Amino acid sequence: MIKRSFFGLVKPKLQYEIIDEAQAEPVSIKASKQIMLYIDQSLENTGNALLKTGDPVKAGQKIAMTDSVDYLLSSKSGQISKISTFVGIMGKKFTSVTIDVDSESSQTVDESFKNVCQTPSLENARDFLAGLPGQPDFNGFFDMDKPVKAIVVLGVDDDLLSTTNQYFVKNNIIAIKTGVDLLCKITGISNAILIVPQHLEQVAGSSGAIVKTVDSEYPSAHPELIMQHILASEDGKSKSKSGIAFFSAEAVCAIGAAYNTGKLPLEKIVTFVSKNGNKQLVSVPIGTPIQDILNKFNETLNDGDRVILGGPMKGISAFSAEYPVLPDTDAIIIQDKNQITERSDTACINCGECVRVCPANIQVNQLIRFLEAGQYEEAADQNDLFSCIECGFCSYVCESRIPVFQHIKLAKHTLESMKAAEESNA
Amino acid sequence: MHNTLKLTVSHAPFWHNGSSISSKSRNILLASLLAVIPGCLQYGPAAVGVVTLAIASAVIWELLINFISRRPISVGDGNAALIGMMFAMMLPATTPWWAVVTGTFFAVVIGKEIFGGIGANPFNPAVLAMTIVMLSWGDLFDFNAALLNYSFDFNAVYPLVLSKSFGALPAESFVLTDLLLGKQIGGIGATFGIGLIAGGVYLMLRGYIRWEISISFLAGIFASALFFNILNPELYAGPGFHLLTGYTLIGAFFLATEDSSSPVNFIPMLIYGLLGGALTVMIRNIGTHIDGVLYAILIINLVNPIVDKIRPKALGKGV
Ligand code: SF4
Ligand code: SF4
Repeated sequence: MIKRSFFGLVKPKLQYEIIDEAQAEPVSIKASKQIMLYIDQSLENTGNALLKTGDPVKAGQKIAMTDSVDYLLSSKSGQISKISTFVGIMGKKFTSVTIDVDSESSQTVDESFKNVCQTPSLENARDFLAGLPGQPDFNGFFDMDKPVKAIVVLGVDDDLLSTTNQYFVKNNIIAIKTGVDLLCKITGISNAILIVPQHLEQVAGSSGAIVKTVDSEYPSAHPELIMQHILASEDGKSKSKSGIAFFSAEAVCAIGAAYNTGKLPLEKIVTFVSKNGNKQLVSVPIGTPIQDILNKFNETLNDGDRVILGGPMKGISAFSAEYPVLPDTDAIIIQDKNQITERSDTACINCGECVRVCPANIQVNQLIRFLEAGQYEEAADQNDLFSCIECGFCSYVCESRIPVFQHIKLAKHTLESMKAAEESNA
Repeated sequence: MHNTLKLTVSHAPFWHNGSSISSKSRNILLASLLAVIPGCLQYGPAAVGVVTLAIASAVIWELLINFISRRPISVGDGNAALIGMMFAMMLPATTPWWAVVTGTFFAVVIGKEIFGGIGANPFNPAVLAMTIVMLSWGDLFDFNAALLNYSFDFNAVYPLVLSKSFGALPAESFVLTDLLLGKQIGGIGATFGIGLIAGGVYLMLRGYIRWEISISFLAGIFASALFFNILNPELYAGPGFHLLTGYTLIGAFFLATEDSSSPVNFIPMLIYGLLGGALTVMIRNIGTHIDGVLYAILIINLVNPIVDKIRPKALGKGV
């Protein structure tokens, strides 16, 4: 954990991880017995479920409860052993599908993508590729109100410690080029921009895309800030996400590989950080329980430890080590009990640290007073609640150790669900 | 199975930079010792008594309030002790015990707790308390009278009284290096200039106080004192004198910088500090009071919420 530096005159800095030679090659890990997938659909709304317990599935088969655009891809063939509800952050409900994996020798592959891969199109990309590692999102291209003008490939990691996307830029720039060319072809968009950290600028040149760099300080690789600082100059002042489709470098590689080979790549690259801070890239089938990775590295968990999916600033913490690697899990971090800083319920002392670090120029010291009082509407109207890009920096520096970020998320969530309720009543 | 394993589940971020209110209080207390210890050496056991009594009573007042309002015990964060210390630093060593205890009552209870505790006080609690006790028992804080029984090897007249009554000429009798070394009478922790500056620099470097406030406060004093001095050198003492006498240094480094009652944005901090400095000198030179620091700080505390509105637009808002 990066602590406050002895001198506090300048504003605190957090540096992104830089990929080094030693950790460059990912260790391959197999799913031992089961894989689990969390689908963004709640069980209750699925009257005619497409899948039920006992159904066989093939590797690469779409796993969804309804015929909607939300699905995941099974990375292995096997048999569905359990379907249940998983409650995630802010009470969001997912359907959890557990699949007992067939042995390596008897794996069967779903061929439906192979049949369409000769004619790449946005439609079949949306129908088959949204479950690839890196979780590419094609829905933006179907929104006719906000036509996409540029494709931005993120060769940077958006949270600390992770080197997952850098890995692809560093070791797989040709695959990125293939993927970018394909994306341009199916979308008809010629404007592709590759964002990389400064140290990878050289390598990135051969991608054929326009290369832009971001500096090494958190949170400059945040998509929202990339838009503000890097892309704004490109295209006048683009103030909203409209017009830009973001893809991670990993997703772009996977898209390219899928169309070229007809096979869906379903191994996710994850930066695994053990309790003692060792970092290692691993390659695991999507859906693999974290426990399998822990076993590989002989990492034991005790009561009070923390398992983090994603980075230390924006990730989520898991209830158990059975939690699976999902298409967007770029990092897994294990924290020992004694590495955890307790949060407190002390009031804000107005030290201003949060204001100094906030990349969105929010007066967090004012905002937090409204949030703690539950006055969410005032927080949104007068204190720029919705300008927050959710980087978590304010909580990291808070001298009162207030869980500021959690308050912000809760407030946004509450206001959004109120709005949704109003709309459905209208 | 792993079902029995109880992992810690919480919201991001999962890192914290390790800062805390208690470490801040501890560091400010430590820095204040640089001025308080020389003060205690100068004034002897009486000063030690005042300091310890102030700190102890401030802590006890806060404990009492914690009990009465049934809130969690908050003295552990060191803020009450810090308020006690700040208050004691401004007092003459001769302050009677009852004045110390009532003073800390005003500071902790009236200055902080009734506004809702730490972070909610609009005024610096110690400054507010000091102003109240000064207005109530002015004689106690007439430094010339209070410290009459001490014999010093330097001019034992409160410098600001001299300049107020007799203009700039007697003020020149004070050599600036003497002032820096604490060869002047005044509050227990308010006269040893070098200690205050060293403490202040330490706190600024480590980020426990906002340097913008201290520096602009001193700049405000310097500029306005210079202005008066040029206007009428006979009547008004020069900037050096104003910087090193009265509560200037303790004000700049320890009082104006109190978190809750000061701004956090860059330009507002500069305005806040400059205004504080300028007001101090104006009160000293043309007002009726001897020292202006306390009133100046109360006034800038008051305008703090207004000036702190000057700030950059939030992301995605405005042009
Ligand atoms: S999480 Fe905190 S620091 Fe980050 S943008 Fe939001 S308010 Fe600012
Ligand atoms: S960092 Fe925490 S205590 Fe300091 S001003 Fe921000 S919210 Fe308040």
